[in-house]
Amino acid sequence: MSSMLLQLFRLSFIASVLHAEHEKTSDLSVVQQTVMDTFHMEEYGSYLVIAPQSSVVEIGTNFTATCVITNTDEVTADDLYWNRSLSSVVPKEYYTKINVSALAVTIPITSRESEWLFCLANKKSAFVLLNKSKFMNGIWLKKRYPPKRATNISCVAEQKENEPSFPVLSCTWETVGHQTKDEQTTYTLMVEFPFPRLNRADCITGVFCKGIINRTETYTSSPTPHNKASVSFGSFPHHMNLDIWVVSQSSLGKIESEHLRQDAHYFVKTSAPSNVKVIVEQSFPTSLLVKWQHPIDQVYIKLTSQIRFCQDGSLDWRYVDVPNADTSVQTSFRLQDLQPGKDYVIQVRCKNVRRNRGYWSDWSDSVTEKTPEDRPTSKPDLWWKSENGEAQLICKEPKFSNGRITAYSIKLRYTKKEGEQEIIPVNGSGTQQSVDQKPVTLLKRISLADKPSVRVCVAAINSVGTSPEACLHIPAKPSGTQTVEGMNVSTLDGQMFVEWKQPNSAAVTEYVIEWMSNGKIDWQRERNSTNKTAIKGKLQPYVCYNVSVYPIQSGFIRKPARLEAYLKQGAPSEGPSTQSNPAYYSAELWWNPIPLDKRRGFITNYTIFYQKDHQLKNITVPGNITSYDLTNLSGNTKYDVWITASTIAGSGKGISHSFTTLKYAPEMVAGVVVGVSLGFLFFVLMTTLLCFYKKEVIKKNLWPQIPNPGESTIGNWSPDYPSKVETPKENCVTGVCVLNVGVCEVTPGFEEDKTSLSLKKDKYLSEEHSSGIFGSSCMSSPRQSVSDSDEGPDLADSTASTVQYSSVVASSGYKGQNPAPQPQHSIFSRSESTQPLLDSEEHPDIVQEGSRQVQCSPRESLFTHGAENQNTIESDNCRLLGMEQHDFCPLKEEAEQTTESDSQSADAESASPLSSYMPQLGGYRPQ
Amino acid sequence: MNGHVKSMNFQQRAETAATLLCFLLLLAVDSTKTVAAARNRECSSDLERTLRLTKLIHRQTGVLIKTYKAFQGEMGPGVCKATGFDVPDPNISGLEPSERMASMYTHLQAFSSHLKRVQEQQTDLQLPGSIVLRKINESRVQNKRLSSSINSLYHTFFPNLPLPEPAGGPTTLPPPQTVFQQKIYGCVVLTTYKVFLANMSKNVKTLKSKMCRKAPKSTSNSGR
Repeated sequence: MSSMLLQLFRLSFIASVLHAEHEKTSDLSVVQQTVMDTFHMEEYGSYLVIAPQSSVVEIGTNFTATCVITNTDEVTADDLYWNRSLSSVVPKEYYTKINVSALAVTIPITSRESEWLFCLANKKSAFVLLNKSKFMNGIWLKKRYPPKRATNISCVAEQKENEPSFPVLSCTWETVGHQTKDEQTTYTLMVEFPFPRLNRADCITGVFCKGIINRTETYTSSPTPHNKASVSFGSFPHHMNLDIWVVSQSSLGKIESEHLRQDAHYFVKTSAPSNVKVIVEQSFPTSLLVKWQHPIDQVYIKLTSQIRFCQDGSLDWRYVDVPNADTSVQTSFRLQDLQPGKDYVIQVRCKNVRRNRGYWSDWSDSVTEKTPEDRPTSKPDLWWKSENGEAQLICKEPKFSNGRITAYSIKLRYTKKEGEQEIIPVNGSGTQQSVDQKPVTLLKRISLADKPSVRVCVAAINSVGTSPEACLHIPAKPSGTQTVEGMNVSTLDGQMFVEWKQPNSAAVTEYVIEWMSNGKIDWQRERNSTNKTAIKGKLQPYVCYNVSVYPIQSGFIRKPARLEAYLKQGAPSEGPSTQSNPAYYSAELWWNPIPLDKRRGFITNYTIFYQKDHQLKNITVPGNITSYDLTNLSGNTKYDVWITASTIAGSGKGISHSFTTLKYAPEMVAGVVVGVSLGFLFFVLMTTLLCFYKKEVIKKNLWPQIPNPGESTIGNWSPDYPSKVETPKENCVTGVCVLNVGVCEVTPGFEEDKTSLSLKKDKYLSEEHSSGIFGSSCMSSPRQSVSDSDEGPDLADSTASTVQYSSVVASSGYKGQNPAPQPQHSIFSRSESTQPLLDSEEHPDIVQEGSRQVQCSPRESLFTHGAENQNTIESDNCRLLGMEQHDFCPLKEEAEQTTESDSQSADAESASPLSSYMPQLGGYRPQ
Repeated sequence: MNGHVKSMNFQQRAETAATLLCFLLLLAVDSTKTVAAARNRECSSDLERTLRLTKLIHRQTGVLIKTYKAFQGEMGPGVCKATGFDVPDPNISGLEPSERMASMYTHLQAFSSHLKRVQEQQTDLQLPGSIVLRKINESRVQNKRLSSSINSLYHTFFPNLPLPEPAGGPTTLPPPQTVFQQKIYGCVVLTTYKVFLANMSKNVKTLKSKMCRKAPKSTSNSGR
């Protein structure tokens, strides 16, 4: 028997070790060692047994285990000791020696971590040492908290729709106590009834209790780890006492919560009342009769009701508990003290009539009904607005309009004489807003141009009657000094507050607080004792309001105090747009103020940002200026500029604007001009002086002395010629040679020598076409400055520096220098030079004196054309060519024309259309 | 002198003790009154609840009879007042409250057996899930609850009096019947039951006025 018991202990130990291996892996080496020892012990048998083997212990309690020595006398209880884990020895004071072969230990379970508890023998005998594994045993202590207890149980049974049944009782509860992660407490809801007054204790004390504890019905929910459960009744236990509790269960056992013992109707929540009807009685404009039906017959539950009602749209509910009669249940009620002509929203709910039992049902569906109208019992709220020199009479409906206002009666009195009454029909809203939120109605516009004031009296009219009159003295301009001082506007919690100081002297009867924005006006009235109030109208954030406080003295409007205010300020929605006027070192910026609706707050300052080559700078300027001069800029540089407008809530960025500073400052331009002018003057002066002082040298270098051929004696060899031939007259100025000979100049003497001249043409082949400044006939060294027409383009390109005065293209006849019997046809092309004309060209009149150059005068215009006007020149050329057919002619031909008939002359013109320049045949006399 | 002083001291102590005794007696009486008042409230509450339950079952039985008749087809007038089915007398007997409560309990037990028989018969006659069957079942459940309430009240008011067993032994049920007889039987049972419940309501109301007007008679009965 004992061996069987030992075997049982061993198996349980192995099982516990294997189970611990799953649960606790941190102390793996110990587990492995223990398992090895266990197998060893299994092979040879252990001499120590621990009781109990139950491994679940409750945290916070003391646990006692006993180690028993079996089947050996080798060790006694004195040789035993206890270890918590393998190394931590339990102190001796926790031991209790039961007998020689049994040692108990009692240890407190404090920590939450599970652990091993070992019993070992420490005798140093050879047998013990050799069978060490047989002299040890252990148990795995699984530590748990007791199950959590349910408290504060609350239950509710909701009525099934349209049935006198509450099929489900749902309960919730709170829990107290601790719980480890390894274990979860499950809860079971228990409901039993009927519950008798006497309990078991009464029965035990000797009272006859047969059958008293036999409860008829018990309902149990399924176990749940959550804090709520429900039970279902086949038939709800009306008029029964219920006993409700919750059983908590864990591995350490079960715990019952406190019992909740109440009548079943303590937990019911009925459906909402149905068929709610509101009856209007015309003879009672201030009351409405409400009727409804209870959701369940009073034989099940006796219910009480509650009504709530409010004006349509206000949601300001008023609650009325419906009193119950002793014997019957009240299902109707007359609401009183209502306002006539108003829509009322009415709802009803019900609950168990017994106090503190049952839950209120949901509210019934809303029923809206309007009370009958009555005569308006308060004055309309009359006010005015000045606009474009006229007064606009505006008003709000009376606070107690008692119906829909259909018209207003207005009486105006400019003098002491009573004015006529005027009825202005309106379409009253009949809405339920308070007087401060009622819409504003424009009644009439009146002009006060030639009147100091007007007294206006207005009464509101509805379908039943007329209201009392509201009167106001409206001045053309509010008179008197400002009687309200110390006005201040502040905001708090989304409301705007206006504060002011009451005037000492003025007898103010009331104040009118007016606020206006974007042409919309609203106002409210305050008593004369008020000096601070919240604006009751609907104000919008980020909108600037012009708030005024008007003192009213017996209906006379006095001068108000005004302030601008925002309910809430925000960052401007946009910044100002910038314009600029850049200079060299600076730029003037200006911008327009942000539109009022875009400011969204008071502008505290502007910040000007300007950027050049990714170098950003900014300047902050006050919010009341709209222009600024940026200085210290770089010249000829592009700047990007934008301006942000700031309020206390943020900033709004304006559109970026770019400008480029000037390339030169005005003073720089002036300096350059002055410098250049002075330099030019200096140059001219120096050149003049140089020419003046070095005249001979210059003359010598530029115009070397040419022997006068007229003075040569060689010319005297021919007997046909006089010894002294008149030298052609030259007009040579220093450095400049001006030919007096015109283009078509003809020296009459040459005609006489025409024949002899033709004989010498070969000799002067290179000189015969020379012309212009350097090629003029006054030069002693002839230069090839005149070319044939074939060479013209080349010369035009290659003689860019060579000033070509003219080119003379001779006809074949001319070029050949052969005197031909036929008239020579020479082609003269105009000069391409922009060289200033010689005096002879600029002053053809001078030329005309000695020649026939009258015909050549059109050429002046030809020579005044610039090179850039080539097209014009060409066209002129074409024109001129045509003209030259009439005005220019070779000398010979012209000479012939003097003798020929007109017809011949016409032939000659047609034969030589291109001859426009006279060959300089007579420039030099034959030497 | 010394003896006189001692006598005075004794007299003073005696007066103090008497005052204290009177105070304690007053407290005891007051506490008794308080307990009696509390018990009175409980008594009233329990009987009131039982009264309401009785009225509720009476109302439900009335509805059940209408439904029953509607589902049985055409039955002649007055058939529900037939006799000969061993249906209990709806009248409550007894003079003392305990006897009347015992009679109520006994009647409820008897009607419970008859209702069970009617339910069995109607189960054969009606379709499953019929509203008649559901209402009969509901009536049985309520009958059981009312019996429990009377039982509880009885032991509350008369803790030392055992509930007597039915005088005639176990409830006698009718022998096997034809379908028509079953229908008549059911109607008779329900009608009689309703009359009994009406009588019971009156009796419970009377009990409430008698039992809860003063301290419960259980205190006087306890000496029996």
